[in-house]
Amino acid sequence: MNLKTPTISHVRLISLYWSRYALRSGAGLVYLLIALIFGLSVAHILIMPVEQLMALQKRQIGKTDPQLIRKTIIDIGQPIIQFVLGIKSFEEVTKEAAALQPGPPDNTSTATQPGKNAAGFDPWTNFLLEKKPALLSVIFLILLFGMPFVISFLAFNQISGDVQNHGLRYLLLRTERSNIYFGRFLGTAIFSTVVMAIIVATITFYLGMKTRIYPALDLAVWAVQGFLALAILMIPYIAVCSLISASVDSPFLSLVLAKVAIAGVLLIAILGSFAWKPAKYLLYALPWGWQNNLLHPAPAHWLGAVLASLAYTAFFLMLGYYGFERRDL
Amino acid sequence: MNEEKRPGGLTALAVINFIFSGWGIITLLGLAALFAFFGKIPTDQMDANQKAQMEAFQNMGLPLFIFIFALTIISSVLLLLSGIGYLKQKKFLGRTIGNTYAVVTIISSVITGIMFAPELGGGFNIGTIIGLIYPVLTLILLNTTFREDLTN
Repeated sequence: MNLKTPTISHVRLISLYWSRYALRSGAGLVYLLIALIFGLSVAHILIMPVEQLMALQKRQIGKTDPQLIRKTIIDIGQPIIQFVLGIKSFEEVTKEAAALQPGPPDNTSTATQPGKNAAGFDPWTNFLLEKKPALLSVIFLILLFGMPFVISFLAFNQISGDVQNHGLRYLLLRTERSNIYFGRFLGTAIFSTVVMAIIVATITFYLGMKTRIYPALDLAVWAVQGFLALAILMIPYIAVCSLISASVDSPFLSLVLAKVAIAGVLLIAILGSFAWKPAKYLLYALPWGWQNNLLHPAPAHWLGAVLASLAYTAFFLMLGYYGFERRDL
Repeated sequence: MNEEKRPGGLTALAVINFIFSGWGIITLLGLAALFAFFGKIPTDQMDANQKAQMEAFQNMGLPLFIFIFALTIISSVLLLLSGIGYLKQKKFLGRTIGNTYAVVTIISSVITGIMFAPELGGGFNIGTIIGLIYPVLTLILLNTTFREDLTN
């Protein structure tokens, strides 16, 4: 087998064409719609109660108290974040939630309860809730969890469709397989990054302009970090889709396999760990096991997560390319 | 006829139009049922938010209700017609009607935001932005990406 070195100018041309073509193809359009609706719905579900609380405060005391609202968000978000980060078990979280149940949110709610301040938080939770805008942190954590399920709608048909209709043969008269493979991967990554930027910018702009509970600079800085985390996280998942798409002939099969691979690893690891504890390590077959570290305060953790993302990407991408270069088209 | 060259995105847009059109018809049925049972729905089991929503519906008045009803019918019909237009790559049925749907929906979102109580989806919130995603995308795509595809 002869592995070819990609030509930069070809890869650039193919990636730019592919990222623009994504909208003309059904996949890009469906992904754009699903990603936007999912991202903004998550924000809507989390921001709406805060807005209701603000309206309630306005009715009761004539003005909104951003400090009290921030405190309430921290109190409610703390057990959820600790569960998502794996710091507390589900049982511990439900116990805490039960203790926090006293009634509907008002200006004498959980925010003023003793013993619910930052002092008891671990450094990671403290960073996400106290040091950074807590509402945006919770939104980012949910997006980090949910977006890998959505990305396959964009990335499933990088190669398989053209293999099925033999269109690739005509392209190969003008360029090498390596350029097509890496160019399309790059084009998909560019498109995904642009969509993430739109989602994060919309949510941040709304939080900044409408709710005004966090300083604009804090929001903007954290939004950039969250956007980078999301954009970087998508890359290994796109590489998984590249590998699958380059290995099968049918776009539909490629979509199904990508969905099964991405969701299946998570599901088998979680369900399997109930019966056999070490099954949880299956999470590390994909970035599931460490992806939240992209929002960790310690540089060793987030830098490690970034490097791991790149390592996973390189592994899946090269595995896919190795198979694609050898296969019959 | 260049129907064979129809891009996948245009087909996807047509399918989404049909889904949203069907959703609009279901909404119409829901609105009609709500209007028919006004005052008969027990509110004692509802929480404060649901009660506020019911009260806002009851205080809305017939003209506003007819306005929502008409708007939903118009949107559903425009979505259905433009969906057919996209599939057949028609200039009027696809591009013109599709643009009309987008503009009507954007304007109605603005009117709804101004006129309605927050309990009825009025005001400006992220829900408003979510509602604007599809019409804005339609407007952009029909006049850029698929401009040359709707010429029959």
